Amino acid sequence: MEFTREIYWNVGHGASTLIPMYLLTIVALALLVKGIWQRVQVYRTGLPLVRNDQVATRLLRVVDNVLLQKKVVQVAWPGMLHGLFFWGFGLLFIGTVLIVIQADFTDLLFDVKFLTGTFYKLFSIVLDIAGLLCILMLGGLLVRRYFFPPEGLETKSDDAVMHGMLLAILITGFIIEGARMAVTELGTPLAPWSPVGLVVAKAVSPIGENGLLALHKVTWWVHLLLVMVFFYLIPATKFRHILTTSANYFFSDLGPKGKLVNLDLEDEDKETFGASSLKELTWKDIFDGDACTQCKRCQDRCPAYNTDKPLSPMKLVREITRIAHDDPEGNMIELCDKDAIWSCTTCRACQEICPAAIEHVGKIIELRRSMVLMEGEFPGEEVMTAMEATEVNGNPLGMGYAERGDWAEDLGIKTLAQDSEVDVLYFVGCYGSFDKRNIKVAKSFVKLCQAAGVKVGILGKEEKCCGEPMRKMGNEYLYQTLAMENIEMIKAYDVAKIVTSCPHCYNTLNKDYRDLGLETEVVTYTVFLKELIDSGRLRISGGELSCTYHDSCYLGRHNDIYDPPRELLKLAGAAISEMDKNRAEGFCCSAGGGRILAEEKLGERINVKRVNMAVETGAEVLVSNCPFCLTMFEDGVKGAEAEDKLQPRDIAEILAERLG
Amino acid sequence: MKILVCIKQVPDMESKFKIDDAGTWYSKADLAWRMNEYDEYAVEQAVQVKEQLKEGDITVLCIGSDKVKETMKKALAMGCDRGAHVSDEDSSLKEPLQIAGVIAEYARDKGFDLIFTGMQSQDRGSGQVGLLVAEMLGLPGVSTVVDFSIEGGVIAAKRELEGGMKACVSLKVPAVITCQLGLNTPRYPTLPNIMKAKKKELISTPIAELLKVDARQGTEKMYFPEKKGGGLVLEGETPELVEQLVKILKEKTSVLS
Repeated sequence: MEFTREIYWNVGHGASTLIPMYLLTIVALALLVKGIWQRVQVYRTGLPLVRNDQVATRLLRVVDNVLLQKKVVQVAWPGMLHGLFFWGFGLLFIGTVLIVIQADFTDLLFDVKFLTGTFYKLFSIVLDIAGLLCILMLGGLLVRRYFFPPEGLETKSDDAVMHGMLLAILITGFIIEGARMAVTELGTPLAPWSPVGLVVAKAVSPIGENGLLALHKVTWWVHLLLVMVFFYLIPATKFRHILTTSANYFFSDLGPKGKLVNLDLEDEDKETFGASSLKELTWKDIFDGDACTQCKRCQDRCPAYNTDKPLSPMKLVREITRIAHDDPEGNMIELCDKDAIWSCTTCRACQEICPAAIEHVGKIIELRRSMVLMEGEFPGEEVMTAMEATEVNGNPLGMGYAERGDWAEDLGIKTLAQDSEVDVLYFVGCYGSFDKRNIKVAKSFVKLCQAAGVKVGILGKEEKCCGEPMRKMGNEYLYQTLAMENIEMIKAYDVAKIVTSCPHCYNTLNKDYRDLGLETEVVTYTVFLKELIDSGRLRISGGELSCTYHDSCYLGRHNDIYDPPRELLKLAGAAISEMDKNRAEGFCCSAGGGRILAEEKLGERINVKRVNMAVETGAEVLVSNCPFCLTMFEDGVKGAEAEDKLQPRDIAEILAERLG
Repeated sequence: MKILVCIKQVPDMESKFKIDDAGTWYSKADLAWRMNEYDEYAVEQAVQVKEQLKEGDITVLCIGSDKVKETMKKALAMGCDRGAHVSDEDSSLKEPLQIAGVIAEYARDKGFDLIFTGMQSQDRGSGQVGLLVAEMLGLPGVSTVVDFSIEGGVIAAKRELEGGMKACVSLKVPAVITCQLGLNTPRYPTLPNIMKAKKKELISTPIAELLKVDARQGTEKMYFPEKKGGGLVLEGETPELVEQLVKILKEKTSVLS
């Protein structure tokens, strides 16, 4: 026998089938396009933003993350359920397209049938298994959502519609197949090539041929109708993520990672800065909320959300989109909640995990910019004091600017003003310069450089705060003032390389300052020290050390530097007991996003929570790579009453003690 | 309502001070400069009055070198309308009476309804200028004000006295008010206002045109207090602390003998 099946078996291939079928299809697709068009009109109310350059790179992101579902399956449970469902449904879609091609084009016009023989057998079994896979995965997701919902998962009517609709489409598909097989295939060698269909066929066969024909015909039309309703529902429900999330990968921010948009403060036509209303956000900011699937992965990882603060990155992104659709004149800042906006540490955990390529942090900064630049408003008086201190003395600690280089007095290093012939300029930062605890780190770093024969220079009182905390708090004006002064100073000395021991300085000099004209190479001390060791200039001897390692957000997620610091620690003889939340999943210390300047008044203390995670590893030392982290952990061990168990240290201190 | 706010540029108090070569003032090298804290309250109050009355014109006056214009710009960004800079390279050599004389001379024929100053400067701290200005202009002067309201040209002010006591004062404009900590929280200038401030009127007048008062006092000498025996902080657990204390008392005093 020939291995194939008659397409349109039982329903007929005449005008009485094709005309209503295609009319329905046209209506459904027209409604789909109309629904999309209405939403596009809302996106278009946003400011322009170029996200269609570098097409090849963008398409590659689509392939990686839509077709291959890379980000989705990164969280294996339940990501894998979605991934398998997606691939299964994709196969079913391809199968349906093949049927349409054969039945309504190649066969109709040229008498060519390709769904035959071995290809048909493969076609049959692949689709059969794909269908079963989809039902199983959907079932798994359904059980998770409705019977064992994880904390924070919001279930709305959209979810019921989606589960019901997809299950109905899949099940009616198998009933159609089973009814057809019961009449035409039972007992033939083709039957085993549709194993699921065969089970259904055996189950329905007792109703007899007439009953089966009727069942088949009715179910066929129901199935078709369901698919048409599905099309219509795409723009109207969370089904829209099929289109919006996929498109959002194309519209991704191609980097540099996390770099903020530089505001043109000289633009005299500009009357407002930052965003307090919808018309001050870009179309992408509105689109992002439509791409959100409420998977809550961002929320699960948000240090603010996890310490009972009013911020959920997911809710904030969705609120902006809700405002765009329902309340376009609304006050964005009030509606998004000021406390939520101020709670962000810009740790980037949300953006790094988001399987929909949503950009949370930039939006929060735009809202903050409006509050600071347009209203002179801060999360607390202490933040305003720190801003004013920085305006006067170039550091948020309020220390006299002239003493900025005093920490290095006895170290045998000079300022560039005294001697600008140096191998590297060490951009010390405010904490390394003024904070007693972090001065020890700066001294350790200089000791390491000197041991490696590297001639280090500093700017001393000519250095100012890099401006990072101010910028992340929304004070773009102060940031740019500081940045311009620093850049002018650095350029005047014509140094070849800048090294930083603060990841916030590193990120700012290496990314943000580029917009303002800094071209000098910038490296972070962990990478710099690793290079010195690799080239044999610096020797470190191992010694026993039981430690855990904390990835600062700005060395880790913002710059993907995870391995060099760990390798340094291993060279120093350390046995690292990793915390559960490490590398890209690392939990913030609380001080990013300018929060180092602010008191933490809401919810639990983030730093104490992180210290407790470190304590759980049983390690004696908590090694970090950032002055803000170190400051927060010194405070956190007190809050966690773990001073006897855990000692916070910087990686430079560990290495400086183990010079070989 | 015409308002005058008098401000002074002072060094940031976190700076490391040194005595200058003449030995009569601090050296100006390596200092960071800012608006005198009490003058910030004065600026804020003036702007609040203007906002409340929805009309008014605020002049900010400052005496000093060109460098003080930076501080004046902050006052303009906070909401003052125009700047009157009295150009003087040696303002630190002027005694309070001379400073007050310059201000009074400037204000005399301009019909200000309200004059705000800080209650004192953070560097010299004489606390005299505001009240001397009031006296010279024949206006009522109220010092150390911590609460201020105005209604129909009548001022109700609270003054801070010793021991936490407050005095309520009522008077009519024109008047001179000197501002104390607690009066208000000075605003952080918004970016549009910083930009606008750059274009506001800021006229410099040489001090010679306004200085018509002779000095009656001069600074003889400025010096740091001598270092005397410092305190001693004992650290450790209570039993150790007791031991240490007893030892010190035995060795260095006669209270236990």
